[in-house]
This record gives sequence, C-alpha cells and structure tokens, in this order.
Amino acid sequence: MADPPKMAVADLDAWYGARQVLYEVSLAIPDRAVGAIIGPSGCGKSTFLRCLNRLHEEQPGARATGAITLDGEDLQSKDLVTVRTRVGMVFQKASPFPNLSIYENVAAGLRLLGVRRRDELDEGVVEALQQAGLWAEVEADVDAPGTSLSGGQQQRLCIARALALQPEVLLMDEPCSALDPISTNKVEALITQLGRSYAVVVVTHNLAQAHRIAGYTAFFYLGKLVEVGPTATLFDHPREKLTENYITGRFG
Amino acid sequence: MERPSPPAAEGGRPVTAGGSVPAPRRFPGRGRRARWLARLGIGVHLGLAAAAVAILGVVVLLVSVLAVQAGPSFDRFGPAFLSGTTWDGVHAVFGAAPAIAGTVLTSLLALALAIPVALGVAIFLSEIAPAWLRRPLTYVVDLSAAVPSVVYGFWAFIVLVPIMRSSVEPDLQAVAGGGYPFSGVPLGLDLFTATIVLAVMVLPTIAAISREALRATPRALRESAMSLGATRWETTRLAVLGPARSGIAGGVILGLGRALGETIAVAMVIGNIYAVPTSLLSPSSTLASQIANSFGEVGPGLEESALVELGLILLAVTLLVNVLARLLIWGVVGRTRGPGRGVAVVGPVGNSGRLRAVAGRLADVSSAGARGTAAWRLRVRASLTGRVARRRRRQLALILLTFGCLVLAVAPLASVVATATVRGGAAVVDPGFYVSEAPVPCNPRPGASCDLGGIGPAIEGTLVMLGLGSILAVPTGLFAGIYLSEYGRAGENRLARVVSFFAEVMTGVPTILVGVVVFLLFLRFDHGDALSAISGGLALGLVMVPIVTRATEEALKVVPASLREAAFALGFPRYRVALRVVLGSARSGVVTGILLGLSRAAGDTAALIVTAGGSGFWMRSLHQPTAAITPFIFGNFGTAYANLQEDAWGAALVLLLIMLSISVAARYMTRGAEAGPEAA
Repeated sequence: MADPPKMAVADLDAWYGARQVLYEVSLAIPDRAVGAIIGPSGCGKSTFLRCLNRLHEEQPGARATGAITLDGEDLQSKDLVTVRTRVGMVFQKASPFPNLSIYENVAAGLRLLGVRRRDELDEGVVEALQQAGLWAEVEADVDAPGTSLSGGQQQRLCIARALALQPEVLLMDEPCSALDPISTNKVEALITQLGRSYAVVVVTHNLAQAHRIAGYTAFFYLGKLVEVGPTATLFDHPREKLTENYITGRFG
Repeated sequence: MERPSPPAAEGGRPVTAGGSVPAPRRFPGRGRRARWLARLGIGVHLGLAAAAVAILGVVVLLVSVLAVQAGPSFDRFGPAFLSGTTWDGVHAVFGAAPAIAGTVLTSLLALALAIPVALGVAIFLSEIAPAWLRRPLTYVVDLSAAVPSVVYGFWAFIVLVPIMRSSVEPDLQAVAGGGYPFSGVPLGLDLFTATIVLAVMVLPTIAAISREALRATPRALRESAMSLGATRWETTRLAVLGPARSGIAGGVILGLGRALGETIAVAMVIGNIYAVPTSLLSPSSTLASQIANSFGEVGPGLEESALVELGLILLAVTLLVNVLARLLIWGVVGRTRGPGRGVAVVGPVGNSGRLRAVAGRLADVSSAGARGTAAWRLRVRASLTGRVARRRRRQLALILLTFGCLVLAVAPLASVVATATVRGGAAVVDPGFYVSEAPVPCNPRPGASCDLGGIGPAIEGTLVMLGLGSILAVPTGLFAGIYLSEYGRAGENRLARVVSFFAEVMTGVPTILVGVVVFLLFLRFDHGDALSAISGGLALGLVMVPIVTRATEEALKVVPASLREAAFALGFPRYRVALRVVLGSARSGVVTGILLGLSRAAGDTAALIVTAGGSGFWMRSLHQPTAAITPFIFGNFGTAYANLQEDAWGAALVLLLIMLSISVAARYMTRGAEAGPEAA
C-alpha cells in the first residue's frame, strides 16, 4: 500500500458503561478498496465500525479512547456533521424514512447540507440512484414511498441515500444479513463496484461473503484485532491459530 | 373406577391397532373428570364472554337511555334545537347553539394552545433529556394528567381567575385596543380562562401519547439520520416526527375528546352564562357545563329532556372524536404516504419525468460510480462550515425551546400542589379533619374562632361508593379483559375486537353522561335510590369498567406467546392457561389496571354530582343521599366562609395525596416491566 491510508485507527478502546468492548485496536483503512471485518457475534466488530463515524458515542454511557484519523486529521477534533457527511453508513436492517418518497429519501442528506435548488437535488438523486444500481428499477415512480420497495431494493435505497452525500468512506454493518440470496448478490456486486472509488468497510459474519467482496480482511475476537491482511492470504495462510480455527469453522 | 376399555381412547387419542401394543395407562376417573373439565372450560369461556358483552351492553345502554329521554325535547324542537340560542325554563324554549359554540370554541382554542407545548414536552422527554432525567420527568408530566378535574377547577378559580381578571385580560385588551376578540368586561370567569384551564388539562394527555409515538420510532431510523450528518433536531424532524405523525395526531384527537367532554373544571370558571359568546371574554357555557350546572335543579319535564339532548349531542361528538383518535393511534388510518401528499403520481410525471431528463444528461457518467465534480458539490463542501454553525444554533434553540415547554407544562401542577399545601395543609394534618362532619359555615371574627369541622362523611361516602363500584367493575373488567386478550387473539374473534375498541372509546366518554344515565335509570326503575350511595357507586363502577378492561387486556397481551404455547404443549386447557399461567404472570399489570380505574373513579366529580346527592352527615343507609370528596369540593369552591374554604382545600389535598399514592403504588408494581427502549 503505497498510498497513505484513508483512515487510520490507533489504540482504540471502547466501552459501554463499565464494559469494555474494544481493546487497543489499530488498523489502517486504505482508500478505494473493500475491507471486510469478520469475527464471532459480540467480538466488537460493529462497535468498531460505529466508532469510525462517531455513532458509537451517541449511545448513553458509551465512550471510546484512541486516535482515529481521516486523511490524517483527527476525527474527534472535527465537527460531527462533517465527519458523518464524509463517512457514510449503511445498516443491517434497511431503514428508509417511512414517510418519505424514494426521491426524498435520497435527497434527505442533500437537503440537510443546504442544497435547495431543484436541479442540484435532481442531479444528486439520479446519480446516487444510478450508483446504487437502483435507478432502472425506480425511475418510473420515484414518488412512491421508500417503504414500498422490496427488502433488497430498500437496502440499495439506503446505500443510495448514503452515496448522495458523496462520502469518502462507506461503512456497512452486515448489509446483506436480512436479504435473500438474489438481493444479496446484487448488493455484493454493488459493494465490489463501490470499492473502486470509495473506501468501503463491511462488517459481516458471512465468511464466504468476505471472501467474495473484500480486498483485505480483519479478524476480530473478544474485542481485539487478531489479524488483518489481504483476504486471500488471511483465508489461505492465516498467521494466527485463532484465525485459522475461526475460518475453518472450529468455533464461532 | 376402571371401566371396560373402549375401542378408542377418550379425548380423540388415536387407536393403537393390534393387540401387541399395550393400551395407554388410564388414570382412575379420567373420563368423567375430562368431561367435567371440558364443561368447566366452556363455562369459563362463556362467563368471560358475557363480561365482554356486558361492556357493549353499557355502550348500548348509554346511547339508548339518552336517546329515549331526549325524545320529548326532540319532538318539540326538532333540528331547530341545534340553532336555538335561548335556555328559558319559564317559557319552555330551549336551544343548544350557545353550548355547542362554547364547547367547540374552548376545545379548539385549548388544543391550539396545548399542541405546541405538548409537542415540545414530548420532544424534550424523548429526544433531548439526558437518560437519567427522562424517567422522573416523564413521571411528573404523567402525574399532572392524574390531577382530578375538580382540583384543577378549584385551583383555577382561586389562583388563575384573579390573575386573568386583574392582569392578563386587561393587558390583552390594551394590546387589542379593547376590540374583538377581547371586547367586553374582563371578569376572569369566561371563555378565555376556561380555554386555558382546558389547555392545561389536555396537555399531559397529548404529551404522553406523542412521547410514546416518538419513542416507538425504530432506532435504525434515528441512526440513519445521524449517519447523514443530521443534528439532533434534524434527526428528530427527519427520523422521528415524520414516522410518528399518525401517533401524534391520535394523541391530539384524544386530547380534543377530553377537552370536549371536560365538565367540572370548565363549569367552575367559564362563567355559566347561556349565550352565544361574542368575545373571548364572554362568560359562556359548554354542553357539559350546562348539564352539570342545571341537571340537579330541574325536575322531570321538557327542560330535563332538553338537557339530555345536550348530553346526546356531547356523546355523539365525543364518541366520534374518540373513534377517530383510536384509529389514528392504532395506525388503522394515516399510514405512510409519499410526500406527494394525496396527489397520486402515476407514470412519468412529477419528479420521475424531470429526473429522467436529468438522467439523460448524466448518461455519460458511467454507473460505475466515478466521483463526479459537479459545481454544486464543491459549493456545498465550501459552505459546510458556515452552515454547520447555523445548524448548531438551531439545535440549541430547539433544546431551550422544548425545555421551556416542559417548564410551562409542569408549572400548573407545581402551582396546584403548592396552593393546596398552603391552604389545606393545616387541615390535613389535623386528625379531627377526617372524623368530623361538615362545619357550620362561619368566618372568624375578633374574639371568636370558627369550628373547622371536617370531611369525614365525604371520605366515608367516597370509600363506600368506590367499594360498591369495585364490586361491579373489578370482576367485569377483569373477565372482559381476560376474554379480550386470551380468547380474542390473532384477530379471528370479531366480537373481541369490537369490544376492545368500544372499551377504549368508553374511557373517553364524559362521566357526566354516565351519571345522567344512571340517575335516569334509577328514576325510572327504583325511584327512591336515584340519589344515593347505590346510584353513585353504580356510576363510579361504570366509569371504572372500561379502564380496568383495557388495562387488563394490555397487561395480559404483553405476556409472551411462548409462555402460553409452553402451557398448551403441556396439555393445559385454554381456560387454565388464561387463568393460571397468563393471569398469574401478569398479576402486577392487572393490579395496576385496577388501581388506575380506582384512581380515575376516586377523582371523578361529574358522575357523582348527579347521582350521589350530597350530604353533610355520616351515612346511615346506602339508600340515602351521600357525601363524597369531589362533590364536596365542587359544592364549596366558591364559598365565602373561611372554614368551608379551608375544608375544601384540605379535601383537594387529600385527593392529590390519594392520586399520588395510587400512582406510586402502580409504579412500584410495574417497576420491572418497563425497562423501555433506553435499555436496548
């Protein structure tokens, strides 16, 4: 990796109340690549992801220490709104705003940024829908409620909603775990495509999925980063015994 | 008891073919016991269903008694009753227009005042208050919904009316130049004061339901909004207020229902002049206040029938409003729509048409997702910093504004408690207050003090009538609630759905109407008991039934289905699952529901002023007019005698203490059950 990383995490500790869930995690997130974070339930992989756009600290009693940088700038020193606009997030369960149309769902973030002109909104919405691979399916009726779409379409709508802000990093927390295999295929193809222009980080419990989409993979266990490396290397020649055990299905 | 083995085992057990397999072991007496148990099961089912049907019976009774009794008035005046503007007992000419105008005006204006504040309170409690403050603050707001209306009315009469008369109303007149809508003499006892009291009273209802609607929006939506860079205010607007819209609307309509039916507090401050109001400062009447003030004084005849017709109008309006509110809260209507707002967008018009043109222009941008460099994007990035500051300021403004709403919402409760404590505190700590009859009215003069007397008979009457009411309401409500929850599951039981709905709607029917109907029934069938503890007890029972029913149903419904299924899997019959397993594990919720019903009945005035009859003495028989706490306050709130005034405040404080202890007890019972979404 010759380029400097898009984001760099150093010595990240995180707590929920008195319970520590992350221990001294350090990880570099390269630009224009898809990274997968794998590990058994409760290993802190979602918490790690939520630290990257400072969503973690929104929960009562939750806190984190350590340094996270975005393009070399400290995340904590930056404005929260700026952080969230530059680091987008997609959740496990598709959550379009139920009272808004497809159009307004995608435009929501732009409106927050103060985009008012109709042509600018239009351009942003169309581009985001195209990038999310949803445009062809919804172009006939973008005024339908976002919730009228199928599950997989809703998830891609949420991806479009995040992409409309032109983020630099896209975080995805188990984006396919609530989807059927066909929708999963579509979203995975989309992730691979997005990885060419964004820094994408995907949390997944699906090892095959990590194998399919990720350029590099990080394995978390009990709140610690056990191993990180190119996906093929990590899966075929894991350095750590723990990783090997997990990948070969001996626990998890 | 062993009988010859029949070819098929009883209870439909499959026959085991061939003699090689031993017949299942049979327990002595099993057959007869099974039949007996089956009959018991059917009996329980029918008994519970009867209780549920009884609730429908009450609704039918209310409507039919009022309709029959309103007959003479309707025959005499016809539809012109609605537009008649006089109430003239001497010439027997009656019309409803002033009462309708007063009711509609006070209710709508009160809503206009209460909605913004209530929404502010709901937003503060749900979105802004720090986690540790949420629960106590919510509790305080809920408590202000439990203050009996006679206490609010008393407080308004003593505290609010002088302020309105001496400063608020003259000031408003000065601002409006003495003209419309603030023309007339500022008396303090008028439409405007009634409006404010109503606003104070419906505010906690709207706030509580709105808060629940806000809390019920999924966390995923909030986090989605936050991930788009939304500030807390923007998150609230985008991910919370929108989805909660119909729930909030339901709360508002429910508040409207309460305002329309509110009787006692309004009757105490509206001035009670039966004329179409010409200004906000006109003393006026509402449907409910006119019934409350006149029903006890008229004998059977055309005037009584006209009053009942007012009641019928009130019932129709409140039923309608409550039905609408329930449909909204339960999400039957008002489901999500696009922002096209009613305009059905079909085919490539609207946004789609325009967007296709945009897509055409963008055709050269490959969907492979090259990060574009459109001019607007750069502009947005550049202006980000300035906008962020503005958004932060807006966020701060929201926090301050909603906190202000909370202060505004809690202030009346604080004032009520403070006033009652100052004016009634001395009476409440005097043991004689609880065991003495009402005093001879007197004012202290130099050299002579007054006997304080007490409210002993009133407490006795309230307890006796609550007891009578409970005998009726607790079993009925309990059984009906069990039926609705356990036999009405999965929506296949239409009877249960209808009963549940009407029980809920019944809780919004003005209690004055319940009192009127009970009184009329006794007058018709048991003349001597029309004004008695029996009559009052029955009225209170009818007030309690729907509350206990719905609370029981809700308490049982939260028992996990897995528990029921586990019991069914062990072979428990349905009635045992319902009565032992489910009822057992929902015990605290059910008791809370009963407490809630008792609390509402104990604080109710309207149903008692037309049924209990009132008395200053200890009870000698259930068949005689009886004292009670709330009618005592209603009867003495405007008294010129110092000792009666102090007794009335003592009674108000006693009521507040009863409400507080019931509410604390209810909290204590359900303390484990409401971890709430914060714990998620």
